[in-house]
Amino acid sequence: MTESELYPRMSEAIVAGDRAAAAALARDAVRQGLDLLEVVDKGYVPGIQKVGVLWEQGEYFLPELISSAEAMKAAMAVIDPELTKRNLGSRPGGRVVIGTVEGDIHDIGKNLVASMLQAGGFDVHDLGADVKLERFIDKAEEVGAGMICLSALLTTTMTNQRRLIGMLRDRGLRGKYKVLVGGAPASRKWAEEIGADGYAENAVAAVKLAKSLAAGA
Amino acid sequence: MTHPLLELAERRTVLLDGAMGTMLMARGLAVGMAPEIWNVERPDLVREVHAAYFAAGADVVSTNSFGGTPLKLAAHGLEGRAYELNHAAARLAREAAPPGRFVAGSVGPTGKFLRPHGPCSEQDLEAAFADQVRGLAAGGVDLVLIETQYDLREALAAVRGARSVASLPIFVTMTFNDTPRGFFTLMGDTPARAAGELERAGAAAFGANCTLAADRMAACVRACRGAIGLPLVAQANAGRPVAGEDGRVTYSQTLEDYVRHVPDIVRAGASFVGGCCGTDPSFIRAMAGIVGKEAP
Repeated sequence: MTESELYPRMSEAIVAGDRAAAAALARDAVRQGLDLLEVVDKGYVPGIQKVGVLWEQGEYFLPELISSAEAMKAAMAVIDPELTKRNLGSRPGGRVVIGTVEGDIHDIGKNLVASMLQAGGFDVHDLGADVKLERFIDKAEEVGAGMICLSALLTTTMTNQRRLIGMLRDRGLRGKYKVLVGGAPASRKWAEEIGADGYAENAVAAVKLAKSLAAGA
Repeated sequence: MTHPLLELAERRTVLLDGAMGTMLMARGLAVGMAPEIWNVERPDLVREVHAAYFAAGADVVSTNSFGGTPLKLAAHGLEGRAYELNHAAARLAREAAPPGRFVAGSVGPTGKFLRPHGPCSEQDLEAAFADQVRGLAAGGVDLVLIETQYDLREALAAVRGARSVASLPIFVTMTFNDTPRGFFTLMGDTPARAAGELERAGAAAFGANCTLAADRMAACVRACRGAIGLPLVAQANAGRPVAGEDGRVTYSQTLEDYVRHVPDIVRAGASFVGGCCGTDPSFIRAMAGIVGKEAP
């Protein structure tokens, strides 16, 4: 298959949430020795972008979003090791540390944002739920992340998003990281109040926001 | 034989209660703690919240067991105590209930996704819900309120689980998002589809709670109305949470703004009305004055 035949199929596999097809097409691309960065950029990324549009239009819901993110993951599981072999960075988006703040065990939304960020080209370090605030900072320092994403579902735990930003300030690290907040009780206004760099209402918006912040950084 | 609560709903609008978790936090429940543990550690305070809702005029209160499935309790290492905590939840509400009032056993979502999106089979969920309802039923609830469901498959598993261990009426509320294309659950089901399937599964009442503010609840009730013959339940949020400078959280809808939509919710066809996030006994008291005047 030529590139012009492969790319639309890759995109379709993502839109359909077809993991087997997404991975098989990735193996084809590797076998043919194609430029894998271009494969990601022109084959798979348009697919996940289309999924985002369908979600925003209310055509796709959470099951479709998860399936598409899984298909993207399957394709990248084939492509990532090859890129590493060829000494090419596969994750142009940069490194992100993400988790649900301490005291809060809800992780559905956070998991989805993590998957979509990964699908969107970020190197995602997911710390899970009920994460001690220090761990976000320690992990970000350890992996050289550019972004910290904080989820909170409860009105009582969202204040930990504010605390983390205070801790970054205290340690003189505030300028080093973009801090994104999300979760049911969070809002744009809340993000502004606590001095976060951004708020996203859903996983699709989170990827857009992260990309624009990464580009501006 | 019709259940006395369903009979009551045929005569007049029935008033449910409002939020529980925030009431417990106001009494000192620490962030990150399972509220259900207070059923055995601070029973007086849980009973006090139920009593406040009854005093405000609620016909029905919901037990402090929203996160009471073993799957949810496991996040706090409490999965082995599901029966005990649910039994205590039911008993406390029962003790607070004046004669002629009702206790609904609250059953929230497990927080786990079904395959292929998550780790659980429908049997896993059914078993978890059965474990919880066994405790609630033994503790003396009058009905089971499966609430805040976002996945129809999980809600159906909850109904099956509840029916496998108890012969109580089962009410189900789901949480719907208001989209440009209409009301949908997180998983993409419409109120009509969910209502129809749950009616066939044996639910005694169906409705919507959480997420929607009072001003959008009537429209959602209407979307349910056309689909089924079951009585409808509506428990709206008081708008959206807003965090103040001091870290305290309030809700965007004031009591006055909330209750002015209640007549419309009743007219839309809700037989059971109550509150959800951001509401407290003062909301229920104000609603009691309104629903008393509205014919069912």
